Amino acid sequence: MTAPAGRRSGRRVLSWLLALALLGVIGFVVLRDVGGQEPEPPALTVVTGVIGSEKDAFFSDQRVRDAFRAHGLELKIDPAGSRQIATTVRLEGYDFAFPSSSPAADKLLAQRPAARTYAPFSSPMAVATFAPIVELLTQAGVVAPGSTTFDVRRYLELAAAGTRWDQLPGNTAFPARKDVLLSTTAPCQSNSAAMYLGIASYVANADGVVTDQTVAAQVTPSVQPLFRDQGYLPPTTEVLFEDYLSAGMGRVPMALVYEAQYVAEALSPDPVLPADARLLYPSPTIFSRHTLVPLTPAGDRVGELLTTDPQLAALAAEHGFRPTDPRAFAAAFRDRGLPEPPALVDVVEPPSFDTLEGMLALLGCTP
Amino acid sequence: MKRIAAALVLALVAGCSGGAESTGPGLAVGPTDAAATLRVLAGSELLDLEPVLAEAGVATGVRIELDPVGTIEGAEAVAAGTAEADHDAIWFSSNRYLALQPGAQDRLGTAIDIMSSPVVLGLRRSVAERLGWVGRPVTWSEIAAAAGAKQFTYGMTDPSASNSGFSAVVAVATALVGAGSALTLEQAESTVPALRDFFAAQTLAAGSSGFLQEAFVRRANGADPGAPVDGLINYESVLQGMNAAGTLPEPLELIRPADGVVTAEYPFTVLAAASPEARDAHRRLAEYLRTPDVQRAIAERTHRQPAVPGVLPLQSGTAVELPFPAQADVVDALLTSYFDKLRRPSRTIYVLDTSGSMAGDERIGALQRALAGLAGADPSLTGQYRRFRGREQVTLLPFSSTPESPQTFTVSEENPGPDRQRIADAGAALQPDGGTAIFDSLEAAYRIAEQQSAADPDRFTSIVLMTDGENTEGADLEAFRAFAGSRPAVPVFCVLFGESSVEEMEEVARLTGGRTFDARTAPLAEVFKEIRGYV
Repeated sequence: MTAPAGRRSGRRVLSWLLALALLGVIGFVVLRDVGGQEPEPPALTVVTGVIGSEKDAFFSDQRVRDAFRAHGLELKIDPAGSRQIATTVRLEGYDFAFPSSSPAADKLLAQRPAARTYAPFSSPMAVATFAPIVELLTQAGVVAPGSTTFDVRRYLELAAAGTRWDQLPGNTAFPARKDVLLSTTAPCQSNSAAMYLGIASYVANADGVVTDQTVAAQVTPSVQPLFRDQGYLPPTTEVLFEDYLSAGMGRVPMALVYEAQYVAEALSPDPVLPADARLLYPSPTIFSRHTLVPLTPAGDRVGELLTTDPQLAALAAEHGFRPTDPRAFAAAFRDRGLPEPPALVDVVEPPSFDTLEGMLALLGCTP
Repeated sequence: MKRIAAALVLALVAGCSGGAESTGPGLAVGPTDAAATLRVLAGSELLDLEPVLAEAGVATGVRIELDPVGTIEGAEAVAAGTAEADHDAIWFSSNRYLALQPGAQDRLGTAIDIMSSPVVLGLRRSVAERLGWVGRPVTWSEIAAAAGAKQFTYGMTDPSASNSGFSAVVAVATALVGAGSALTLEQAESTVPALRDFFAAQTLAAGSSGFLQEAFVRRANGADPGAPVDGLINYESVLQGMNAAGTLPEPLELIRPADGVVTAEYPFTVLAAASPEARDAHRRLAEYLRTPDVQRAIAERTHRQPAVPGVLPLQSGTAVELPFPAQADVVDALLTSYFDKLRRPSRTIYVLDTSGSMAGDERIGALQRALAGLAGADPSLTGQYRRFRGREQVTLLPFSSTPESPQTFTVSEENPGPDRQRIADAGAALQPDGGTAIFDSLEAAYRIAEQQSAADPDRFTSIVLMTDGENTEGADLEAFRAFAGSRPAVPVFCVLFGESSVEEMEEVARLTGGRTFDARTAPLAEVFKEIRGYV
């Protein structure tokens, strides 16, 4: 690698090392003296958690970290896919797991019973799109005029017929020679796509939650093209939403995302939503219930704080999540002078973890 | 200042990339005494980020080593698990091909998009104007029709060597054959006339994006003997960079087909097997690269679009993205169909040294194995796409003291196996003996190319020259210079092997518009395979 070293250059290295060590000592003394003038911080308990990656921004927020510090907790967070958290992630050494859906939490609970779980906030699945697309969808009967409701049944009919954008009547705004398909993430990897599978299979099952493998085998062939025909799918909902934000209508005309992602952007002091960005709500939709499963008493404390601390609830709302107490969500919009999203009525439950896994296996996902 | 300069010190490191053949020297930047080093298997085009990465290394305290390799070779190394032996992360223009390889997905950790650029057609402005393609939307069908009518020519990288060529094949097939969704297996096997039309206009092939650009510029400026090419299919960012460099006699008009493009999104991806320190270094680097100032610097320097929303105003809000097939069998069928049925067929003359010095398993044996590999014995992913192709005309011209009698094979489109086997058998029969008449044999190859071209002109014609020593008989380099100067150019791709003269081989490559490949440091079979991207 390096030129022949020789004893002399070895000695030079040694003297450099000594100099560096000396500098280090001086630096330490100086820093210690400076630091010594500040009050002693309270002893912090380090708590480690593995979380669904869509909560990464929330847990990285300095204000969230400070709020936990005020309660004596220093959080260390590893983001992972919710499905991985329930199956492949080794949970030894973690104080809590915080997947993004109740089925994944239920699966965890079955393996490691906990006294209680915490569901401090949730977020419904939503469709991030653009004003011209909303108009086209309205004409095609997918969106009720003037509403934010995205009729899943009507959409599935269009998709089943292989309708392309340029075949929609009167379409001059987006005459793409491309199928009318909701952009989603990869179902094998991402929770939001699994939630979409829950919605689509509910409608395909004549408005009933799929509860067993026989039904799953019946409905999966009709929902499979919704993923397959899109081709390559982004691995996470963050990537999908970022594509929506930065690449625009041609790349992602409409994307199935968490409401929280869109709302967090709308509420941020420096929003980068396109001027004609719009949010629709699938009917029916599913709430992604972020459910914390404590693995140790310290992890339990995190769940409790997230559920009871008003400041953390307010911060969760700023990050677009709907806290258990609806007033925190309403306040976040009021503070920004923005209209609050609608209360959703057509909400269904996701299938159980094992049923979802069964459907994913039929889609070709390996555990 | 001095310290920063020392920290920024940049070292060229020889590529080494566990199982994947490195395509050239890589780069190592950042503090040499950094606590963490991130070893990245990367697409060669990322070397253009060098100054940005040097600053990133200083800012994050991470030493960054980039090891360049082709997209498919990289995918192969990741899927086989060899990449993780000596790398912590990968960074290619896209993970889409990689994601299709069995088992590859599990070897990947967090992927963070850094920047993007679509693959588009750049045409000399006068040609774009003649075709009426300036200032209005143009579709792939129009482009295919004009290509079929020989109204323009273009260059493109080999889709098994480089992601830009691969994306182009996917885009063209999806737009011309697809029904609006990702290609099905049946569609991927299609050989509709529009596809053949489109590929008929390709007159410049290259195994790397760098060679493609250089050859295009040299031909445009008359520095290369080959005929100038009208356009290039490449990343929009590369074409914009060529325009900005000011080395072209005429700027390229960028044509972004209205029915859709395939975009590279450059996901910076840590490997699942990476150490916690490397994972942390990857995360810090990625976060740094996504800060708005750095995103702007990347866009300014490389012409790629920032991944982070809101950093720059949206460029083209309605440019359609074509669906990219997500099934391995579909992509395999598409590439196989491209190589064996769709692309302009090749004519390749292998001028092979069988002088006495070639005796021994590591010489003639290696040559015979290299030929057998191209004839189908190489089971690897790259081997599968670099075989002698359906419709290809292959001539073996062994030589020693004089050129021996050539053997020509034309590989069947429908049933290529038996013809490939005949080439392997001819290779196995080669016997080393006698002197080394390099230039007499090259001249003989030129004459063969002329005869064959007269009978059947519409082929990519190239010569591959492999010799293990210096010229000992017949014409010398000067004589060949005079000979080649008076004839239509045929690019000669020279393999440096044994004691061959590097200077003379480089001069032959320069004279003919070819290039040299080094088989003294890499296995001969790998080099023969790499050359396939150029012929």
